[in-house]
Amino acid sequence: MVQINFAQKQVNAKIVYYGPGMSGKTTNLEVVHQRAPTANRGDLTSISTDGDRTLFFDFMPLDLGTVAGMRTCFQIYTVPGQVYYNSTRKLVLQGVDGVVFVADSSAAMVQENLESLKNLEQNLNEYGKSLATLPHIIQFNKRDLPDAMPVEELNRLLNAHAAPCFEAVANSGQGVFPTLKALAARVLETIHTGSRGSSPQPSGAPLPSPAPAPSASGTAYTARPLSQTGYAAGVAKPAAPAPATIPMPTRPGLAAAAQAPLPKIQHRAPAQTSADPNSRTAFHAPPAPAIAAQGQAPIPMQSISMSAAAPQQVVHAHGAPAPGMVSAPPSAPSASLQMMRSDPSAHISPVAPARPRAPAPARPIARPSSARTTSARVPGPISASSESGQKKQFTTLMLVLAALIAGAVMAVAVLS
Amino acid sequence: MTSDQKLRNDRLVFYTPDVQRLEGELDGFLELSGARSALLIDREGHLVTRRGDVVQTSLESISALIAGSFAATREMARLLGEAQFTTLFHQGQRDSIQVSLVGDTALFATVFDGRTNLGLVRYYASETAQRLEGIMDEMKCRVPGEIEASDKLASNFSESASAALDKLF
Repeated sequence: MVQINFAQKQVNAKIVYYGPGMSGKTTNLEVVHQRAPTANRGDLTSISTDGDRTLFFDFMPLDLGTVAGMRTCFQIYTVPGQVYYNSTRKLVLQGVDGVVFVADSSAAMVQENLESLKNLEQNLNEYGKSLATLPHIIQFNKRDLPDAMPVEELNRLLNAHAAPCFEAVANSGQGVFPTLKALAARVLETIHTGSRGSSPQPSGAPLPSPAPAPSASGTAYTARPLSQTGYAAGVAKPAAPAPATIPMPTRPGLAAAAQAPLPKIQHRAPAQTSADPNSRTAFHAPPAPAIAAQGQAPIPMQSISMSAAAPQQVVHAHGAPAPGMVSAPPSAPSASLQMMRSDPSAHISPVAPARPRAPAPARPIARPSSARTTSARVPGPISASSESGQKKQFTTLMLVLAALIAGAVMAVAVLS
Repeated sequence: MTSDQKLRNDRLVFYTPDVQRLEGELDGFLELSGARSALLIDREGHLVTRRGDVVQTSLESISALIAGSFAATREMARLLGEAQFTTLFHQGQRDSIQVSLVGDTALFATVFDGRTNLGLVRYYASETAQRLEGIMDEMKCRVPGEIEASDKLASNFSESASAALDKLF
C-alpha cells in the first residue's frame, strides 16, 4: 500500500521480488545494493538460513530522491522462494505495490516457475489483488545457462498479462537495473494516476501504459524489454500450459534444493553478523539453546535490529503485563498472556527500583504543550469496568477464604 | 467495492494536520510513560512518524522488521485460533520494544529502557493506541474536499519521477 505522507513530504511504495527458489531474487537485490549510489541505498537486511536461503525476506530501502517536493522511497523486498515457506511469502506480499517475477530460464525449472506464478496469483488474491491489475514485470533470469529456454516460450508460459519482460543474468548484473527501473516507473505512474483529484482509477481499469524502454546506452547490460520486441504484444494467454510436455532435464542440486524438505528454524547455526564490505546485515536464526547462551550480553540500542543477538524473551499479550512483571496500574486491562518462553525469571522486566509503582490513576495529567489533543488521560469506561470486575474477584476470594477458615475450625473442633 | 473505496484501500495518505495530532499523542505518551522513543508505522512497514530519542539505526529497516514481526505473530495467532495478537514485546538487556496494534492500518512501537517499566509503558501504550486509532478512523472518514491545497502531489510528479529514475539508473 502506497503511503503518501505530506507532513514528512515523503512517498513510500513497496516492491517485492517473487519467484521460485534459487531463481535469483536475492541476487537481484544484492546487485541493486552494490551498484546503487551510496546516498540512495539503505542497508540490505537479510533474514536467511545457514544455507543462505531467504527465510523471511531480504529488505532494502532505495531512495529515489526528491521528486516534485516529495522524498520518494521504495521498500524493496524479496520472498523466500521455497514451497515450504508459503506462509512467510504471503506475509511479505501484504500491501505490495509492484512485483518483479524472477523466472529461472532453465528448462528444468519451468514447472517451478509455473507453480510459483500460480502461487503468486493465489497469494495476491488473498489480499484482494491480482496480477491483472497490479503493476508487475517479468524477468527471465539466468539467460547464460546452456539449457535456457527460448524467451518466446517463457513469455508464452509465464506472461499471461503481457507485462514488460526483461532478460537478465543477475549474478553479473545484466538486466537488473532495467527491470527495477521499469517497475518503479509503473508504480510511480500508478501513484500519480490514483492521486489525480476527483478522477480515481476505476476498479479493474487497465494499468497505466508501460514504462518506456530502458536505454542500454552507457551500460554493459544486454537485456532488452521483450514487450518492445514483439514478444509481449499480442501474446495470447496460454489456455492451459502443459508442463508435462516440456522436457525436464534433471539439475542435481538446484532441483533437489528446491524440493527437498528444509531444515526447521530452530536447527540453524548460532547467530552471525555478516561483515561483508557491502554492509549487508544478515540475520541467521539461532537455535534455542544458543539464545540462552548468548542473550546475556548487553544489547546496544542499535543492535535491536542490526545485531544478531536474540532478544531474551518474546511475549505476545492482549494487554496488561504478565504475572511476575511489575504490575500495571490497577485499572489496566486484565492480563491474557498468549506466548512466553519457559524461563520464569525472564518474566521480570529490568525495572529501576526507584520508579514509583503503578501511579497511573492518581498521576497528575501533565500534558505536554505540544500535545494537540485536549482529552485527559484518565482511564475511561474500560478501566471502570475493569475496576468493578476486580471488586467482584476480591469479594469472591474473600468468601472462599472465609469458607476455608470455617472448614478448618470445624475440622479442629471435630478432632478435638 | 466502488472505485473510490478501492483507491482508499490502495493507499494511506497522511495530511499535515493529522500527523501533528498523531505526534501530539506520541509526545504525551513519551512524557507519561518515560519511554525513549515512539514510532508509528503502517502495517506495510513504512514509518509514519517518530518522536523521542533518535534511534541509532536505519529507521526504514527497523520499521520493516517490526512490521514483519507483527505480521508473523498475526499468522501465529491465526494458527492458534486467535483473531490476532494485539501486543508484541521484545525484551533486551538494556532496551526493549513494545509494539501495539493501532486499528487495521498501523503499528505503534515504543523503545524503552530501565528508566521506566513494562507495566507503565504497556498501560499508557494501550491508551495511546486507542487514541491513535480514533484519529486514524477520522482520517479514513475525511471527505476528499477537505484536503489542504498544499497537501497534493504536484501535477508534474510523474515527469519528475521519470527524470529521477533516469538519473538513478
